[in-house]
Amino acid sequence: MGDREALFAEVEEATPTLRRYARALCVLAGSIAADDLVQSAIDKAAMAIRERRLRGGEPGAARLCAYHALTSAAREELSGFESAKLSARLPPIAQGLASLPFEERAAILLIALEGFSYDAAAEIAGTRRETLVARLMRARAALSTVDLRPPAPSDGQRRAGGHLRLVK
Amino acid sequence: MGPSPAMEEADLHALVDNEISGEERRRVEDHLAGCPEDAALVEGWRRQNAALRAAFEPVAQERPPLSLRNAAQRNAAAGAPPIESGAIHWGRPSNSTRSMRRFEEESAGRRRARALASTFGALLVGAAIAGAAVFVLTRPGVAPPAAPEPSYVERADLAYHTYVFDPRPVEFDAAQREALLDALRLRLGFARAPDLSSLDLKLLGARVAPGLRGPAGVLIYERGDLSARVALYYEKAESVGFPRLAPRVDQALTAIEWRAAGYEFVLIGPLGPEAMQQAAERAAAEMLTPTLAP
Repeated sequence: MGDREALFAEVEEATPTLRRYARALCVLAGSIAADDLVQSAIDKAAMAIRERRLRGGEPGAARLCAYHALTSAAREELSGFESAKLSARLPPIAQGLASLPFEERAAILLIALEGFSYDAAAEIAGTRRETLVARLMRARAALSTVDLRPPAPSDGQRRAGGHLRLVK
Repeated sequence: MGPSPAMEEADLHALVDNEISGEERRRVEDHLAGCPEDAALVEGWRRQNAALRAAFEPVAQERPPLSLRNAAQRNAAAGAPPIESGAIHWGRPSNSTRSMRRFEEESAGRRRARALASTFGALLVGAAIAGAAVFVLTRPGVAPPAAPEPSYVERADLAYHTYVFDPRPVEFDAAQREALLDALRLRLGFARAPDLSSLDLKLLGARVAPGLRGPAGVLIYERGDLSARVALYYEKAESVGFPRLAPRVDQALTAIEWRAAGYEFVLIGPLGPEAMQQAAERAAAEMLTPTLAP
């Protein structure tokens, strides 16, 4: 497999995790907007490969490029969704995530969900390592107020009962 | 609350995020052993990480939509960069000589004449076909056949009768819980096996069955006295609404359906409406609750 093919394969392999990151980043905008961003990120990474802006010898370069493209596109696209109404059915952690500013949300997702190193996450977010770590710390402090325990059965039953439909 | 003054908060984050190793890591771990406040902070951040993964990992296990499958490889095959301006290209720019251009212009004229004749002929044939279609469709007394309304509940009813009383009702036994969840997650993009034991329903196991629009998961539960079996059917909810008319379900069964997180769930079994409602509420609550890593 040539360098170029290896880079395209790397983007292809990253598609499921790009979708996971996009869905969490777009927790306010929904799955369709998230998949649109993934499509756009894949197209931009592919263009960078075709224009030989990425080198095949650098492992992970195409994946980083796709994550960077996704984060940049989301930053522009999601500005209108900051005040969108959240579904009450989202798990508490997702609701907490939605309340974070975009840059803090991206920082904690890149580190905690996607498992990037601080250096790689800073490159994706287009910032310095120290700035990224500061955003991560603020995000974790904000999320520490979220109650992560599963709801008590009575709470869950009350919540679930509202959308159940007895058919017969 | 922040970490104790002896340790930088950034060091604690670096430990959680595997950014430090060796001597530095041991130094932070030794500090945590003697500082329960900081240890609790670190534990809380690890729980956040686990909750994030539990909430969004199912997305990575889903089969991507058609538009994203092989998207990078399609891009690789496309060759030249895509045109992003919305421009439409008719033909291609010419680099031929003057005499060649004259020849091409004459050829183009002949092609235009043939195209016009062909278009006119096609319009005549099209008009004839359209007239015939209008005549057939507007004849009195011939109503077009109504398409049956699809229903997840009927599909769940079918799965119940097909599998629940089979000598081998499940593909994956409850004893192999991880294999069971992995198989369902792989085929359906989401898997959870609600614990209904407090309602005297013990999980027997699960299987993958044909659904309305794709594969469906069927979890089968049995009452403690072996007197009844209940099935929890689920599949990805596509653009099929709740049916306007009551679905055709076995009169001896009760079915409860609901939707959550893009999936359609149907609990179906021979218990009374109240017991089924309780079981459905418990199942729905567990399906929505993220699983935290221990």
